[in-house]
Amino acid sequence: MQTTPNEKSFELPPLKVPDPNAFIQVNELTKEFPIKGGLFSRQIASVKAVQGVSLTIKKGETLGLVGESGCGKSTLGRCIIRLIEPTSGQIFIDGQDVTKKQGEDLRALRRKMQIIFQDPYASLNPRMTVGSIISEPLEIHNLFDSKKDRQDRVKQLVELVGLRPEAVNRYPHEFSGGQRQRIGIARALAVDPSFIVCDEPVSALDVSIQAQVINLLMDLQQRLGLTYLFIAHDLKVVEHISNRVAVMYLGKVVEMAEAEELYRHPSHPYSRALLSAIPVPDPRRKDQRIILTGDVPSPIRPPSGCHFHPRCPDMIEECKTTCPSLRETRPAHHTACIRA
Amino acid sequence: MAATSNATMTAAVPTTASHAKMRNSLWWDAFRRLKKNKVAVASFFVICVYVLIALGAKLGLLFPDVAIGSPSMQYLPWSWEHPFGTDVLGRDVLARAVHGTATALSVGLISSGISLVIGLTLGALAGYYGKWVDGLIVWLYTTIDSIPYILLIPALTFVLGRGLINVYIAVGVTSWVTLCRLIRGEFMKHKDRDYVMAAKVIGASDVRKIFRHILPNVTHLAFVQFGLGFVAAIKIEVILSYLGLGVDPSTPSWGIMLDDSKLELSRPFWGNLAAATIFMFGLILSFNLFNDALRDSLDPKLKNK
Repeated sequence: MQTTPNEKSFELPPLKVPDPNAFIQVNELTKEFPIKGGLFSRQIASVKAVQGVSLTIKKGETLGLVGESGCGKSTLGRCIIRLIEPTSGQIFIDGQDVTKKQGEDLRALRRKMQIIFQDPYASLNPRMTVGSIISEPLEIHNLFDSKKDRQDRVKQLVELVGLRPEAVNRYPHEFSGGQRQRIGIARALAVDPSFIVCDEPVSALDVSIQAQVINLLMDLQQRLGLTYLFIAHDLKVVEHISNRVAVMYLGKVVEMAEAEELYRHPSHPYSRALLSAIPVPDPRRKDQRIILTGDVPSPIRPPSGCHFHPRCPDMIEECKTTCPSLRETRPAHHTACIRA
Repeated sequence: MAATSNATMTAAVPTTASHAKMRNSLWWDAFRRLKKNKVAVASFFVICVYVLIALGAKLGLLFPDVAIGSPSMQYLPWSWEHPFGTDVLGRDVLARAVHGTATALSVGLISSGISLVIGLTLGALAGYYGKWVDGLIVWLYTTIDSIPYILLIPALTFVLGRGLINVYIAVGVTSWVTLCRLIRGEFMKHKDRDYVMAAKVIGASDVRKIFRHILPNVTHLAFVQFGLGFVAAIKIEVILSYLGLGVDPSTPSWGIMLDDSKLELSRPFWGNLAAATIFMFGLILSFNLFNDALRDSLDPKLKNK
């Protein structure tokens, strides 16, 4: 998997048939952002944001995706719904290959997959009323014939996310962060999607508001049977909302398991360090934090072998050369570490 | 704070939904701020007076006999009948200045209108699509921008010939660069914003993203730029006409009046110089003050959040 760009061009992606049990299936997804420079804007390097990630999400499940800033978790989420074009790899949603869709087909498929953005201030057009923001997806997909039906649907959505019906005539700048996030959720729900990428939906909110939005998301999941990819860096929030959790480091998934299993028995050294950083509300408990040394290496030139080896407390000589892939280290618990 | 005051207003005064919508929009917000600015209101009033003068002149209500003069009335000093005297052909200077207002405003409006359309379209295309489209448009405007306008516009009017329509075209096709550059930058910035991403996710087409989403968020800059272009176009017309490259000498124009006055000052006859200068001063000053106020009121950073 760890190949130079030259070798990569000859490598054909492994063609896998979609797993019938998985609602979302991602195979070997890679995203590289080219860096251009020099005299004729040649590509001189690339940021390897996502490097061969494979994962599945079952229907009605929430997969939590954690990792520090810049590890590629948002890029991964945005690639899955084709907000960003992936460099290579396959994505199946309900058996349909997302990466192969173009034009009208892609637009039709967009009804199934939506996203909730991190920043509720940037994700709503300030020049549009809340009503027109929420009804725009209905217009684009021609979901209702009459204006009246569309307005009724907008009213219904506004109430579904817990806003007052008068909100439709207001502008986003008249609302608070939490209320704006609810507007963003209503917009995502308008086309009746089955899969939603929650891209750090509560990171920009006050703690008191975070719980409200999280509860709304969980409530909506139950009522509408939604499948979530929940991206966050707040480990406590992820534990609360997720059925399974994947830990990302420098473009790769290093560990994936049921939420409870992963939080009780983290087997990758990075996950252990991450989990030890969760503050415990108990002043008598001795802090046993694992302090990682150094910074996250640049995704332009990732380290050889295991990406984590320069910072790993358990590093052995072999880690510098061997690139570990995800394997089952405990029942239904996958870890990418040769020592686990 | 704004939300609560609006809420109480809605409760007190029953209004239609569209009314409530308008009152809360950012445009309405900007208009409210503009209205509070006394300088803006005063300069807007002055601009309106100029527009009325120009309309009156064009419709033949003010000084309909502007072109009529007789040699016997040459260079009359000021009087109540001729406040700025009469010129070499015995025409009333005030009438010339009044009709020059119509010329100046039409050049401002049409030239900056042409440059608004070109600049907005090319800027939006370059900023949104990037790649070779951007390369081509950037090449085009840097090429135009590298030629000093004081050479380019006379060169164009040499080719097109004298006349009002040619002045519109020459000024219009050379003055869109600043606006284009500005709009291109804004589009580059806005196209990756989350609200545009959100539009992409719900399946919006490029046309929808450009016109429905990004454009309304950059038009306020185009407004301000239009105002600046308006003033610049008026000044360029005056310069061109002064150099003998602008409008036909029979067309009343402040530039031609200034051109005439350079020989008349030794007589001494100051009517042409005074009239043209006073009329230009009032219009350009009030336009600039209004532009400043407009920019302030449209700036989201100065908004009371």
